[in-house]
Amino acid sequence: MFKRFFKFLIRISSFMSKELTEILRQPKLILTLVLGPFLVMFLFGLGYPDQNRTLRTTFVAEDPNSIQRDMKLFTASIPAIADQDTENNKELALAKLALNQTDLVILIPKNALETVRSNQQAKFIIYHNEVDPFQIAYINSIARIYTDEVNRRILQSVTETGQQDAGSVQGNLENAITKTQALKQAIPPGDTNTAAQVSELEKDLTTVQEQLTTFRSMGSDVLVSPFTVDTTPLSNVEFTPTDFFAPAVIVLLLQHLSITFASLSIVRERRSGIIELFRVAPITAFETLIGKFLSYLLFEILLAGVITILAVWLLKIPMFGLWTNYVIAVIILLFTSLGVGFFISLISETDTQAVQYSMLLLLASIFFSGFFLDLRLMWQPIKVLAWSLPATYGIRMLQDIMLRGASIPPLIFEGLALIGIGLFLVNWILLRRRMEA
Amino acid sequence: MDLTKNKNLSGDVVDAQELTKTFGEEVAVNSLTMKVPRGTIFGFIGPSGCGKTTTVRLMTGILKPTSGQVAVLGKQPIHFSKSDQEKIGYLIQNFVLYPELTVWENLNFAASFYGVGLFGRHGRLNKLLEFVELKEAKGKLARALSGGMKRRLSLAATLVHNPELLFLDEPTAGIDPILRRKFWDYFKGLQEQGHTLFITTQYVGEAAYCDLVGVMYEGKLLMVESPEGLRHKAYGGDIIGIKTTEWIRYENRKKLESLPFVKGKIKVINDQEIEIVVDEANTAMPALMEASKAARINVEKIEQISPPFDDVFVRLIEKETTNVQKIL
Repeated sequence: MFKRFFKFLIRISSFMSKELTEILRQPKLILTLVLGPFLVMFLFGLGYPDQNRTLRTTFVAEDPNSIQRDMKLFTASIPAIADQDTENNKELALAKLALNQTDLVILIPKNALETVRSNQQAKFIIYHNEVDPFQIAYINSIARIYTDEVNRRILQSVTETGQQDAGSVQGNLENAITKTQALKQAIPPGDTNTAAQVSELEKDLTTVQEQLTTFRSMGSDVLVSPFTVDTTPLSNVEFTPTDFFAPAVIVLLLQHLSITFASLSIVRERRSGIIELFRVAPITAFETLIGKFLSYLLFEILLAGVITILAVWLLKIPMFGLWTNYVIAVIILLFTSLGVGFFISLISETDTQAVQYSMLLLLASIFFSGFFLDLRLMWQPIKVLAWSLPATYGIRMLQDIMLRGASIPPLIFEGLALIGIGLFLVNWILLRRRMEA
Repeated sequence: MDLTKNKNLSGDVVDAQELTKTFGEEVAVNSLTMKVPRGTIFGFIGPSGCGKTTTVRLMTGILKPTSGQVAVLGKQPIHFSKSDQEKIGYLIQNFVLYPELTVWENLNFAASFYGVGLFGRHGRLNKLLEFVELKEAKGKLARALSGGMKRRLSLAATLVHNPELLFLDEPTAGIDPILRRKFWDYFKGLQEQGHTLFITTQYVGEAAYCDLVGVMYEGKLLMVESPEGLRHKAYGGDIIGIKTTEWIRYENRKKLESLPFVKGKIKVINDQEIEIVVDEANTAMPALMEASKAARINVEKIEQISPPFDDVFVRLIEKETTNVQKIL
């Protein structure tokens, strides 16, 4: 029994040492695997600093008057709109937009004041030349912010005028109160009914005066926008785009490496013919698979360690969670990704086919794993595809652990582990078939 | 490495009965019946695509027979246990080891997947490298080896677990004649150590190094014979060459042809040289001398001729195809 177990270990070790030696014999590959992702994240951080896009804006004021100039000035409080220039001619402005000399053309409505006074809404027309849906959504959002700002400024101006007007009203009111008090004195003592009415009038006038005082003492901005908003993350940390994408990049990279390594592993052996030798030798499909799993797992755990250290210590990616949770999440991600890779290897007939399947999976992972599109926005049936990718689980786990400081979500962990174990069993059966007569 | 001390050297290690393998309509191996005695070098000869490799695959358990059966070391190969597999070594036609590993690492890998224990492994691998003359190259990457060195490395990897029975599929294919000769020296050495070798080859001349030769053609085993037996079968007997000092007359040739132990017609090489097929060269030669003397033929030289195996093989195949055509 002991001898059999010992032989089992020896046979497993054959693949462990073979695979590791083959990888370690390629120092350039290792350097690329370690430095590549680090450089990607580093350059990404440099390339996307934490700021919103500023839109070069051309205003079209076909009939310049004071309110149009004011509307232009309102943009000063919106950093996303960079006041570039003003045109009188709409066509000229649109030509500039077509030539990418400007990003937005804001057509200021003619006779806006008159339009509003005639109980109609004055309409801004904003032109852009974007094709990217995300940029279009961004511009729509900026357009709404701009319109709100213009409305707010106008309301504020109207309110300020109202407050000034209220000053003269307040003077009149004081006179009215004084006169009411005089009237109250002049009422004969027996006329209680009239006295009560005048007292009531005096009280009402005093209330109105107090309210007017309050109205005049309040800031016009508070009157127009009594509520503001301030969003704060639970972690109390504002994440940069690099912080947000780093866990996902690590996950995608580890998944892709596992799949690529594993997918080429068995298909190459089948192509070279050595699998025929395994069929004759006392090594089993289980031992072969375990040996290969362990070798790649060991190598990639080390690789993940180096990449993580570089990301956390050099790029200052936040790590709020427990390292033990991180290690467990990475191991289960690698285990399942290797399973996917071996599956590809067992169903592929050539190296090229295996590489193509791996690339297809990488592409699918970029689009469906929640790498840059929120999974909650995804159409429900497509989510099945998303949750069949190890990266989807990995990104969720690492983002939770690193950025939220949470523990591993149990359902996510169990789901990924279940896929990993299922794949191991399927791969075992497939490899047995390949190694049997 | 020496198996002679503790192994039973009698009996057959391979026993095939009506072994057949078809792939769809194509019959790769057709009713093959043969035995391989323990301790022999069994040559399996035939042209490319005749079914040699398929036969080896059937004997190693890689393929299941369509019909018939084969017992290797007393067991059906498809039911081999791990301990049965440890007794078998298989050298694949092509180089299948890992080019990015060194000679030593490849050998070590083979030792591990055959489950060779770590104790004493180092010494054993060194011995094997010495045996195949690769000790100096043990640190070299396999991809940097010449074709011959790769074959030797493959052979060493086949021997790493000291198997009783070796299946060597065209071990000498694509290598130069000098190295081929060396390989056969290795095989003889292995036989002396008690290994049984089943060797396929398309070099017909290599039949001479074997104890027994199976001739395969278009999926059929034509015969299993000793190398001499093959010649005998090909020509219908032994061949004796006679060289005379003068022209051999027609009537004298006829006289020799009429002798009871002479088979068929005498082959005339030139005016002074003839070749005669006889039942048994040893007994026929003195009788031929006597007859020549009686016919006043002045014999300068008389000897048994061993035609090259290439000719023997071609003749055997021609005979076989003629027989088939006759049947059809």
